Amino acid sequence: MPDWRAYARGRLPRLRVPPERENEIVAELALQLDQAFAEALAGGASEADALRRAEAQFADWPALAREIDAAEARLAAQLEPSRGGALAGCWHDLRYAVRFFRRNPGFAAIATITLAFGIGGNTAVFTMVDAVALRSLPYHDPGQLTAIETRKAQQPELEPWTSASDLQDMRARTGAFSAIAGISPMWNVVLTGLGDAQRLTALYVSADFFPLLGVNPAVGRGFRPDEDNGAQTSHVVMLSYSYWQRQFGGRANAVGKSLALDNALYTVIGVLPAAFRYEGEPLAGTAEEIDVWLPLSANPIVPSPRGLRFLKVVARLKPGVSPEQSGHQLRALAAALAEKYPGTNRGFAFYVQPLRAQVNGRFRVAMLLLLGTAGFVLLMACANVANLLLARAAVRHKEIAVRVALGASRFRLLRQLFTESLCLASAGGILGLAVAFAGLKLLIAAAPASLVRAQDVRLDIRALAFACIAVWLCAIAAGLPPAWRTVRADIEAALRESGRGLTAGHHRLRATLVVAQVAAALALLASAGLLVRSFQRLLDVDPGFQARNLLTISTQIPQAANTPAGRTAMYRLIRDRLLAVPGVVDVAAVSRLPLMGMNLSTWIFVEGKSTPGEPGADVEYRAATPSYFSTMRIPLRAGRIFDDRDDANAASITLINETMARKFWPGGDPVGKRIKLGDHPAQAPWITVVGVVGDVRHVGIDTQPLPEMYRAYAADPLGSPMLVIRTATDPKPLVSALSAKVRSVSAEVPAYNVWLMQDLVDRSTAQRRFVMWLLSAFALTALLLAVVGVYGAVAQSVTQRTPEIGLRMALGASPAAALRLALGQGIRLAAVGIAIGAAAAVGLAQLMRKMLFEVQPLDPVAFTAAALALAVCAALASYVPARKAARIEPLAALRR
Amino acid sequence: MILLALLEARARHGYELAKLIESESDKKLQFHVASLYPMLYRLERKGLVEGRWVEKAGERRRRFYRLTAQGRRALAQQRRNWREFAQALNRLTGFNHA
Repeated sequence: MPDWRAYARGRLPRLRVPPERENEIVAELALQLDQAFAEALAGGASEADALRRAEAQFADWPALAREIDAAEARLAAQLEPSRGGALAGCWHDLRYAVRFFRRNPGFAAIATITLAFGIGGNTAVFTMVDAVALRSLPYHDPGQLTAIETRKAQQPELEPWTSASDLQDMRARTGAFSAIAGISPMWNVVLTGLGDAQRLTALYVSADFFPLLGVNPAVGRGFRPDEDNGAQTSHVVMLSYSYWQRQFGGRANAVGKSLALDNALYTVIGVLPAAFRYEGEPLAGTAEEIDVWLPLSANPIVPSPRGLRFLKVVARLKPGVSPEQSGHQLRALAAALAEKYPGTNRGFAFYVQPLRAQVNGRFRVAMLLLLGTAGFVLLMACANVANLLLARAAVRHKEIAVRVALGASRFRLLRQLFTESLCLASAGGILGLAVAFAGLKLLIAAAPASLVRAQDVRLDIRALAFACIAVWLCAIAAGLPPAWRTVRADIEAALRESGRGLTAGHHRLRATLVVAQVAAALALLASAGLLVRSFQRLLDVDPGFQARNLLTISTQIPQAANTPAGRTAMYRLIRDRLLAVPGVVDVAAVSRLPLMGMNLSTWIFVEGKSTPGEPGADVEYRAATPSYFSTMRIPLRAGRIFDDRDDANAASITLINETMARKFWPGGDPVGKRIKLGDHPAQAPWITVVGVVGDVRHVGIDTQPLPEMYRAYAADPLGSPMLVIRTATDPKPLVSALSAKVRSVSAEVPAYNVWLMQDLVDRSTAQRRFVMWLLSAFALTALLLAVVGVYGAVAQSVTQRTPEIGLRMALGASPAAALRLALGQGIRLAAVGIAIGAAAAVGLAQLMRKMLFEVQPLDPVAFTAAALALAVCAALASYVPARKAARIEPLAALRR
Repeated sequence: MILLALLEARARHGYELAKLIESESDKKLQFHVASLYPMLYRLERKGLVEGRWVEKAGERRRRFYRLTAQGRRALAQQRRNWREFAQALNRLTGFNHA
C-alpha cells in the first residue's frame, strides 16, 4: 500500500497557511486518496487500476493548492490583517483574470481597444475642455479679476472695446477696483539695429497691468507708474520670455540694453516669466505670441478722441466689493458720461464680468457639449464591452455554477468578475493615454487658434486623474451589470444539467444595452446633423465682399497732419506708396472694417419719415474712400458710387446699404432721398442718397446686417483709417513689405492690426467648424459602436437559437423565414432604440439651440437622415448573422 | 447549499460527502473531489461548518465536519430562496412538480 501522506506532501505545492494547518490538510487529502484506493481494491480492481483511480482524483495539484490558498485567505486576513490577506485575495483574483485573458486573447484585445479609444478620446477632449473652459486663470486670486466692457445697448454681440478717455474716467470716478488696466490691440513694431529688421508683435499695457495680475518679472523689473502717466513718453520695454531666449539667448545682461523699435530707442527693463501668457484676448479669436510689452502711454493712438474705442480693460475688485456693486458704479458712470459727452457716449454702457467669463465664455457651451458627447461615446463603448463580457459569461457559466453550488460566495464571485473588468479597463486606460496623447495633438492641430493656442493644453495630472476616474467608471459600467447578472443567473441555474435557462436573462440585458446604444447614437447623429446643416447654411452666407487676396492694416495720421486737408494728403501719400508695391491692385480706406469687431453708429433724421423732436433712427456709420467698394468687391445695387469729382460737395451725399434702403424706403427707390445726421436736425444740412450698395456681414458671418450708411472720405477724412489692400495673388508674402511701406511715410505713422481678410472670415466660422467636425466624429463613432452592438446581439441570438431554427426548418420553414426571423430581431432592437433616441435628441437639440444657425432645433432633414442612416446600418449589421441563420442545416443543427 | 444540506442530519467526513453527492444525485451532479476540499475549507472559514479530528474505536482518525448554528441559518435561508425560485419556475413552465 502506498504511503499516501508522503505522496500528497510530495505533490501539493507549499500553501500560504501556518505549518500545522498545512499538515492537517495534507493528512485529510491523504485520507481521501487512501479510501478511494481501498474502495477500488475492495471492488475487485487490480492494484495498478486502484492506484490509477485514486490518483485521478487530484489531477492538478498546483490548481488545488491555489484553491485551498484562496479558501484559507479569509483566515489569513482575519488572523493577520497587517500581512495584507485581502490583498493576497485580490492578487489571486488578478492572476486569475490575467490567465483568463491569456486564454481569450481575441476577446481581451477587442475589449481593451474599444475601451482605449473611449478613455483616450475622453481624456483628450477633457484636457482641451479643461484648459479652455474649466480651469481657473493662472493669475493671483483670479476670482477678483474682472473684465470691463463698453457695449452698445442694442448690439451686445459687438466686441467690447473702451476708449482711453473712458478708461481715465473709470479710474478716477469708481471706487470698486483696486486697479484698472488698459490693453491695446495687437501692434506690429519694427525692430532695427540687431541684424535684419524684424517685425515684432507688441501690446501696450498700463503700468499696473502686471501687478494687477500678480505677475512678477523673471528678470529685471516691471513698469513704474511714472512710466505710464502720459506726461511724457517713457521709452522702456519688457520682453516675453521666449523672445528673450530667441534674441538674447536668455542672458541677464539683456536688461539695460536698448532696442530700436519703430525708429525710437527703448530700454529693456525686464523679462516676463516663461509661463506667463495673457489669456484675455487682444482681439477675440486671435492668439498670437506677444514679443514685447510697452507702456500704454507710449502708444501713438492713446491721445485720440473719446469716440475711438480700442482698449480692452481688466480690473481687480477691491476685497469685499461684489461684482454687482462694481457694475452699479460703472453704470452710473456710463450714464454720467453719456450726458456729458452725448456725441460719443450716448447709448453706450459699461459692463463688468469675471475675466474668466470673458476669456472662455463664448466656448463654454460648445465645450461642455463636446465633453458630454465624449462621455456618451464612452458609455457606449462600455456597453459594447459589457456585451462582450455577457457573451463570455454564457460560455463560462458552468465553471461559475459549480463554484456557486459548492458554496463560493456571491461577493467572492463578483469580486473576481469585477477584477476582470477592472483589468480590461486598466489596460484600456494605459493604451488610452497613448490614444489621448495622439488625439490631443490632432485636436490642437485642428482646433481654431483662438481656442487652444492661447492656453497651455497638454496632458497633465488633471488629465491623468480624469483617465483614472474613466477607468473605474468603465470597470463599473462595463463589468458590474454582466457580473451581477452572471452571478445571479448561475445561482439559479447551478443545479441544472444545462445552463440554457440563464441565457434568457443575459439576452434581455444585452437587448437593453443595444437599445440604449442605438438611442444614444441617434441622439448624437441628429445633433451632429443639426450642426452640419447649420454650417452648410453658414457657408452659403455671402459676407458681402470678397475676402480672397485682401489685406488690412490699421494706421494713424500723426497729430502734426491732423487737419482735414492734412489727413487727406497723408492718406493719399500712403495709398500711392502702397500702389507702387508690385502685386498691389487696389488700395482703399474705411473707418470700420467688417469682422474686426469695431463699430460706430449715428442717429439720422429721414426726410418724410422722421418726426422733428423725436430721437432719430440708429444706423451704422462709415466713412470710405471711393475705391473702397471696388477694392472690397462690394456690389452697387442702385445709383452710383462716389468718385473724386464729389470732393467739392462730398458732405452732401451718402451711400447706403440694402438693409437701410429696405428699412426706410421699402419698395421704393432711395436714390435721391434725403437725410440729416445727428440729434439736432434743424441745424444739420441735408445729405442726399446717391447710391445703394450690397449688404456686408459686418459683425459676423452669422449675424444679420444692420442698416449702414457710407459717407465720402473727403467729407470726413479719417484720423485712424483702416487700409484695405487688394493684391493680385496671395497677400501673405507681402505683409512685411506693405507694413513697412505704411511706416515709411513718417516715423509717426504706425502699422498695426495687420490681417488677411480671409483669416478674419475663417475666424468668424472657425469655432463652429471645429465643434461640428468633432461632434460629427463622435456621432460616427457612436454609430459604429451601435452597429457593432446590434450585430453582436443578433449574431449571439442566432447561435443560441440554431437548434430552434433547425427544428423550424425541418418542419418546413424556408431559409427566407429564418432570414426574416433574425433580421426582424435586429430591426426591432434598432426601431426601439431609434424611437427612444429621437425623444432624447429633441431634448438635446433644445440645449443646442444657441449653436444653430438658420436651422430649427427640430429640423426634419437632420432627424430623418440620422434615423435613416441608423436604420440602414442596423439592418446591414443584422443581415450578416441573418444570412448565417438562413444557411443553417436542419440536421446538423438538431444534432447539437 | 448541497454541502450544508448533507451535513444537516449529522457530521460527515470528506470522503463520505463526496460519495453522497455522487450517489444521491444519481450521478447527475459531477464534480472533482479536488473542488470539494477547498469548498469545505471556505465554508469553515465563513463559520458555516466546523471541522474536527475524531478517532472512533476500530476506525482510523478522520476529520468530521458538522453544521454550526450560523450554517443552519444559512441553509434555511438558501432553502427559502430555492423554493421561491423553483415555484417561480414552476409557474412559468407550468410544471406541477419541481
